[in-house]
Amino acid sequence: MDLSGCAVVGIGRTAYTRRSGRTGLALAAEAVRAALDDCGLTAADVDGITCFSTGDSASPLRVAHAIGIDDIGWAVGIHAGGNAVATVIANAAAAVITGQAETVVVYRVLDASVRYGKVTAEVSVGGVEQFAGPHGYLVPPQWFAMWARRHQHVYGSTCEDLGAIAINGRNHAANNPHAIARDPISLDDYLAGRMVVEPFRVFDCAYEVDGAVALVLTTAERAADLRHPAVHPIGAADSTGAGGMPDLWDDQTAMYSRDAAPRLWARTGLSPADIDVACMYDCFTYTIMATFEDYGFCGKGEVGDYFREGRATYGGDVVVNPHGGLLSEGYLHGLNHHYEAVLQLRGQAGARQVPDAELALVTAGAGPYGGAIVYSSRRP
Amino acid sequence: MNASQGPAVDRSALRPPQPAPDVDTAPFWEATASGHLSICRCQQCGLWLQPPLERCRRCAASTAFEPVSGDGTVSTFIIQRQPAVVGFFDKVPYAVALVDLAEQPGLRLPGRIVDIDPDDVAIGMRARARIDALAGGDFHLPVFVPVD
Repeated sequence: MDLSGCAVVGIGRTAYTRRSGRTGLALAAEAVRAALDDCGLTAADVDGITCFSTGDSASPLRVAHAIGIDDIGWAVGIHAGGNAVATVIANAAAAVITGQAETVVVYRVLDASVRYGKVTAEVSVGGVEQFAGPHGYLVPPQWFAMWARRHQHVYGSTCEDLGAIAINGRNHAANNPHAIARDPISLDDYLAGRMVVEPFRVFDCAYEVDGAVALVLTTAERAADLRHPAVHPIGAADSTGAGGMPDLWDDQTAMYSRDAAPRLWARTGLSPADIDVACMYDCFTYTIMATFEDYGFCGKGEVGDYFREGRATYGGDVVVNPHGGLLSEGYLHGLNHHYEAVLQLRGQAGARQVPDAELALVTAGAGPYGGAIVYSSRRP
Repeated sequence: MNASQGPAVDRSALRPPQPAPDVDTAPFWEATASGHLSICRCQQCGLWLQPPLERCRRCAASTAFEPVSGDGTVSTFIIQRQPAVVGFFDKVPYAVALVDLAEQPGLRLPGRIVDIDPDDVAIGMRARARIDALAGGDFHLPVFVPVD
């Protein structure tokens, strides 16, 4: 696999707020325009557009129309959550490399009409969820609290270990003016947080926001003439097991990354020791715990100590979520992790810049379904 | 994680999520309505299939629902402390487990653990299905009672 003939050249986003009072279409159009402005391109240069959503979002066709495009040659909507972020970007890169499109916009938008953490209206549920919903068991924090409990049982991990992950991200967010939650927390603060679904406290759960993020991808050749240093996706890998059904996965102490990580490292010729910045998908703290082990940064049950010892922050082994992640910057379904990786590899992250950042791992998804991309500041 | 805006409603009066069966899953709910737990099973190789499939995922043979013992083991569990799901806002705290049924490794159902203080639920605990009525409609569903 070689994706390096493609580059991310533009990044854009809206403010992340609790309640914007705006439509998803308006937010998406703003983020896409910002990403085009960032690289000095216009809507007239865009011939591809893609996003992922769970049927909640402004569609690629509508967003293209909203920014004034009347002829879009490649428009792809993927029905998925944050699990598919790496897939969507790798597909966009492949479209650029194979000439299906020259300049592709990738975006994700969420607005207050969608909140994943609660179901407040009466519902009928089909599919596999018909066996779960009637028990009051229907939302992602519940699914992954199940997983975290299993890890605690098998490997002796603790709530304090999950807390170390939450604290690390929140401390990073303190240097990110765009983050929705910027007040650093102590272990006492973490433990005093209200218990949402045991073993998850409020600080273990992503901070749902309104907002949109967009990236612009084009050919490496065209990237050379644009405003900012190009950032190259150099490899990607996905895995889906158990049909994507979290309850049915065979070992909930590991995630999709158990299978995707060996593929990713084989395809890139890299190892965790090479990575400067790791934007780890963190719908929940436990997602970082399980995937961090799977990608090989440490052994099973060692994540708590790794974070407590400062190995996941500045001056350590790898800076994990310098922006604060979904837990503290805001829940943009993981596309905001790519924005941050590009900013870091350009050297434009300001107070939270990771010194000499050249390689970034960005992971996507949780449970049995997800993937990752590695970005480089240099074309290999 | 949000509260819906608008006039206050009595959320405790809302129905819990109701199943929306399809042709593959309907026999599960027909069995619970008559007080039994039945699971989809391949009629050729004997593989139990949950969620149900029209044909076996291993050998593609036809399937049918067969009664199971209802005996299982708690693989993992949660204790819901904050209201999160409609119909259960006034039910917290409650425990939900993933229960591995005795008939086959990995044959798993989610279900509330009842007749026990949620704080006393543990991984590895043996439990047995009991068919209870689901509020707000005509469905019945398996909940799990500890047997240790």
